[in-house]
Amino acid sequence: MSEQWRFLLTGEHTAVENMAIDRAILVAHSKGLVPPTVRFYTWRPAAISIGYFQRLTEEVDLDACENQGIDYVRRITGGGAVFHEDELTYSIVVSEDHPSIPKHILDSYGIICQALIEGFSILDIDSEYAPINDIVSNGKKISGNAQTRKMKTVLQHGTILLDVDVDKMFSLLKVPNEKIKDKLITNVKDRVTSLKLITGNPVSFDEVSNAMKKGFEKTFHVTLEPGLLSEDEQSLSKDFIRECFGTDSWNHMR
Amino acid sequence: MDKQIIYKVPGGKLLKIFLSYDESSNLIKDICITGDFFAYPEESVEELEKILKNKELDKKELMNIINLFVKDHGVEFIGIDSSTITDAILEGVL
Repeated sequence: MSEQWRFLLTGEHTAVENMAIDRAILVAHSKGLVPPTVRFYTWRPAAISIGYFQRLTEEVDLDACENQGIDYVRRITGGGAVFHEDELTYSIVVSEDHPSIPKHILDSYGIICQALIEGFSILDIDSEYAPINDIVSNGKKISGNAQTRKMKTVLQHGTILLDVDVDKMFSLLKVPNEKIKDKLITNVKDRVTSLKLITGNPVSFDEVSNAMKKGFEKTFHVTLEPGLLSEDEQSLSKDFIRECFGTDSWNHMR
Repeated sequence: MDKQIIYKVPGGKLLKIFLSYDESSNLIKDICITGDFFAYPEESVEELEKILKNKELDKKELMNIINLFVKDHGVEFIGIDSSTITDAILEGVL
């Protein structure tokens, strides 16, 4: 019988809540309170997350976010700014010492991305890992991923684009050089794709969720058992919202 | 003198460094290393920024400091390394 991990479908949350929940699972698992966990979720309202090392005001047009009702939050993971709208976001939390997790960080990106690649393959989409942290299909990015390791525990989260609106994304993100903004947008349109663009049809969250769940089960030789956030995790999430992700001192930290 | 340096790292990551330095002594007064890279543990970058204060803007010196820091603190950079950080910093003072 295969090892059982917990599977969470937490639905829609705000940016701050989503990042607090991922961190709460990380802490709870590091204390042995919950099993290894795969979580799928979405963002409401749509939001921008920035990487741990980015400067919020450098990356994000905060006035545009306010005008368009878009949330923003700093992640605990590195990497770049991401506009989260029509996507399935996953997170995986598992001990660094788990036999399925390579010690080498890039290798562990590779194996976790492999779970997504298996999922794409169930959806009849060919894709491959593009180090450091992307998955591409036909050379175009379909998924971005970011990992942190704290308290001997791996948290990796990432996006699977159901649909993408590059123009909207660039109305919210700042670019290093305004003069070449149009060229940059064209460039990104050439380099980014989505399940809708690849298949020519809208692909539902549930369809992608089912495929990705199987992808994780196959790659890690586990059964994902549907579960719920524990009381400890819910309480930790609230603490993290209040003390971290919901504060200006965190989001404007760098 | 305050400088904002945007440095495209070979491989695709973008470093944005906010540097304040003294032109007469050639010493770093303050530095903030931002961008879309990865570093483990993440908090080490803040430590590195503190260590770089009052250090000379010299390629060999900066490389040595960052290399030593990485070794002593068991830091793993992904997408950047000590050489790209050094080159980016110095690009701001050329």
